[in-house]
Amino acid sequence: MDDSSAEWTRAGDGFDGFVAARLDRLLRYATAMTCDKHLAQDIVQDVLLRAQSRWERIAAMDAPYLYLKRMVTNEYLSWRRRRAARDVSSSHAALDVVAPVVPDHAARHAERDAMRARIAVLPRKQRAAIVLRYYEDSPDEEIAAVLGCTVGTVRSHISRALKTLRANENKPVEVLR
Amino acid sequence: MTDQEQLIREALAAEAAEAADTRDVLAALYRGRARRRRPLALIAAAAVTTAAAAVAVVVPLTAGHTAAPPVEAGTSSGPRNVLLVGVDDGGRADTVMLAHVGGPNGIAVVSLPRDTRVDVPGRGPVNLASTYSTEDRVQGLKNAVESLTGVRVDHHAAVETRAFGALADAVGGVEVCLKAAVDDPFSGASLPAGRQELNGEQALAFLRQRRGLPRGDLDRVVRQQAFLRAASAKVLDRSVLGDPAKLAALVDVARAGVRTDEGWDLLAFARDLTPGTAVRAATIPVGDTPEIEDGKPLLAVDPAEVRRFYAGFTAGQATGGGTPTGTPAGDDCVD
Repeated sequence: MDDSSAEWTRAGDGFDGFVAARLDRLLRYATAMTCDKHLAQDIVQDVLLRAQSRWERIAAMDAPYLYLKRMVTNEYLSWRRRRAARDVSSSHAALDVVAPVVPDHAARHAERDAMRARIAVLPRKQRAAIVLRYYEDSPDEEIAAVLGCTVGTVRSHISRALKTLRANENKPVEVLR
Repeated sequence: MTDQEQLIREALAAEAAEAADTRDVLAALYRGRARRRRPLALIAAAAVTTAAAAVAVVVPLTAGHTAAPPVEAGTSSGPRNVLLVGVDDGGRADTVMLAHVGGPNGIAVVSLPRDTRVDVPGRGPVNLASTYSTEDRVQGLKNAVESLTGVRVDHHAAVETRAFGALADAVGGVEVCLKAAVDDPFSGASLPAGRQELNGEQALAFLRQRRGLPRGDLDRVVRQQAFLRAASAKVLDRSVLGDPAKLAALVDVARAGVRTDEGWDLLAFARDLTPGTAVRAATIPVGDTPEIEDGKPLLAVDPAEVRRFYAGFTAGQATGGGTPTGTPAGDDCVD
């Protein structure tokens, strides 16, 4: 998705307009990345509150949405360190896999849930890179900008992640046993 | 695309679909703003007020002591111009009204839209709302209003925005009428068309909504007036005045959410008000569409016209170039 800001500048309402136009997408991105909707909500709220206080500067940038995405991503990547004391809900995807599967679950559905669980246990930077490429459809240059690393590093994150996901394809996910 | 990549996409889409409801985030964002800005709001004595709110709160204070109309009703201290400021959770002036109280023609409340263009020496053209600052409290706004209207402001009062919610709850709901159903996730306003009683939470959303209204903030001003007319009518109703529990709740609202200048003797002021006093509301004559100046949307205004209008309206004239917005008895549905 491009980062054209036309959608919200037309709304003409500054920060409020941006939130109205982009909150849903930002929240879904954060949820896909964290595999935890509560954590995603906390992160997005925190980021929006901080962004609001310096909105004029952010709005003047070429790509405000990209900047917000970067804030959300950084918040997540540094989150364990800063909030170690806080309750962490376990990965919902993993729990879904642990939970008894409905007998007539379509095979594809089960496969997809198994993939969710595998993604949920990837290292965070790899997971963020995967979400940016396969959920946000971002080009590698943009992924590099969001993660604050080089394009080469992005590709190595993604190739390692794909390798892990492939290698585990026929193995039960750890949390199953 | 490989099958693995397709599966990854599906897995991520399923994960993303678990996202929390954006309305929860918006609500939390609102609470977050209030929490973070609370100290500022306190310093500023932040408030949202209108004449009707003062009436709504002050009259029952007196009525609680004297069930009969005050004996000394004749000792009126004369008409007073009261500046009523509503300040939102962020400490910004959100509502500005000038009330003419104690005159022979009931209470006249005149709204001054927040985007009204004013010239501030040293700052150039700015919107009216920005003359209220947390540093000098109401002084800058008072100066701007006095120079725009030519009226001397005798007193000022402020009510916190959220006090309106508490007010609605205290009187057991406030009736408004909407021309069309609204559903605005940002303010949380989700209301059907037609006549309805608003509880505190709905009242706040109704008063906050600015997006999605045909005339934006100008329509919101009309809503504030409609709400306050209905609220004061409700307060002056037997069902509230005669109910000790509701009176006590109102007094609590007043204590928590209404601030006035120190020199204002509220009880003396209240004695001048008689239950059933008519409250008329109007908006000063301003341009209907904002003009962009220095990147700020400002509503053009002619001070001479505003002065004529204010004098005429407070003297009992229904119109004078501004926008009267109904009478207490009027069947006025709002956008």
